[in-house]
Amino acid sequence: MAETQTATALARPPVTAFSWRSAGIAIGALVVFDVLINVYERLFAFSKGLDYASADYNNYWLGMLFAELVLEAVTAGALWGWLWVTRDQALERLSPAEELKRYWALALFVVTYTYAAYAGASYFTEQDGTWHQTVIRDTDFTPSHVIEFYQSYPIYIIFGVGSLVYAMTRLPQFAKAFSLPFVILVGSPAMIFPNVGLNEFGHTRWFMEELFVAPLHWGFVTFGWGALAILGTWSQICPRVVSLINHVYLGKPLQSTAEVMKDPQSSVDPAACAALAA
Amino acid sequence: MQYSQVDAEAKAISRKFDVVVLLSTFLALTAGFHVHQMLVAGDWSFWIDWKDRNWWPIVAPIMEITFPAATQAVLWTKFRMPIGATICCLGLLWGEWMNRYINFNGWTHYPLNMVFPETFLPAAVVLDIVLMLTGNWVVTALVGGELWGWLFYPTNWVMIAPFHVPVEYQGALMSVADVINYMYVRTSTPEYLRIVETGTMRSFAGGVTGVAAFFSAFVSVCMYVPWWLMGAHFFGSTKFFKTYEHAAEARKY
Repeated sequence: MAETQTATALARPPVTAFSWRSAGIAIGALVVFDVLINVYERLFAFSKGLDYASADYNNYWLGMLFAELVLEAVTAGALWGWLWVTRDQALERLSPAEELKRYWALALFVVTYTYAAYAGASYFTEQDGTWHQTVIRDTDFTPSHVIEFYQSYPIYIIFGVGSLVYAMTRLPQFAKAFSLPFVILVGSPAMIFPNVGLNEFGHTRWFMEELFVAPLHWGFVTFGWGALAILGTWSQICPRVVSLINHVYLGKPLQSTAEVMKDPQSSVDPAACAALAA
Repeated sequence: MQYSQVDAEAKAISRKFDVVVLLSTFLALTAGFHVHQMLVAGDWSFWIDWKDRNWWPIVAPIMEITFPAATQAVLWTKFRMPIGATICCLGLLWGEWMNRYINFNGWTHYPLNMVFPETFLPAAVVLDIVLMLTGNWVVTALVGGELWGWLFYPTNWVMIAPFHVPVEYQGALMSVADVINYMYVRTSTPEYLRIVETGTMRSFAGGVTGVAAFFSAFVSVCMYVPWWLMGAHFFGSTKFFKTYEHAAEARKY
């Protein structure tokens, strides 16, 4: 790996730049929201959500479905649009200290995404199993689906795509080339949402009973495998972060931003993180 | 003095990154592994009466050696951390308990005795130890994979043994687990959907479990290999697609 000394002075970012605050607020808000959603389900799923043709269902569940779909579309557009509009168009001049701060922000973005992915793919998906194995379905938009498919999945997609757009618009490593593991980490679980179309068509056509291991469900499984790509994503990011810390705090040489942008593969030294762990 | 302060700052920030990497990896693995597990082996995990001697010891291990193998491929080869299988199975167990307790028990009111999940932690620790001691993924596939299949049933036996006790109920001989199944109606999962104790050889009583574990261990070995390779070369890949500029330059020549 070619390493060149940048002309930047060793300005250190303030310690407060590495605060947990933004992730704490985001994950805290998601946890509170998820608890409230659980309370809503306990109050209104069995009492108002068992008859698709009833006025109560329309008020308590179909209304919620439409409201959340609109809110999610607006939130996704606003967040992704803001990240794009405020992108850094002079990444060649990015200082190492600022780059390190941005990696911290990306790390918090990713951890928020993984919490949302846990809530959607683990908690609310098995909760849907709880519901289906207890209640005969009479609609594709049964209460647990309004929460699981159309609320928890879009939430993690918003954070996942947001983290990828953040990296592509603010970090030299991801600015000019697509990262295979990062795209899998975000894109594969995101495909679980379109796969709902297959699932719902299948249930509409074939199944009233609920064998959870039915092959119809295996599309979700395949796309869920993409979560493993977090291993490759951190393996890409880790060496650059180590180099930045070593440069900013210890004055060691650093590959320049321009070089990283030109050939991001050269910034991934697989031995860097293993040396740390040894 | 000033250098020490800078050094301490660097270490503190490095530790913060460590925490965020470990936390996000744990959550992502929990999400992916749990959605995989519940949709390929979930029915055996959900209900005590599905935890039979015939199919459960086969289906659960062979479907759940997947994420541990892929995770070991990255954590061991790149970080020398012998915890890949254990962290996956810990995440899975946590994800399962969150839902069994809050929803199966708290929302739809099935007793926890009926819906507690299986554990892979003992087998996962063994799988990690085999990799750590041998440092060789092929040996881990052959030895660790065999042990993975063999250990699953005995390491869960303490939890399920009380439910395999025979009882006479309304003139019929059945297990305690079967009686629980009849008592707590699953509207959408009728008894005829159960995939338990099928086939004629099961009439040889306990003998079927050993055969099931033998088969399970064989398939676990076979599953370990492709999942290690996928972990090492696909999910754990550090590849960047070519930049647009590079692609354009390459076309010139």
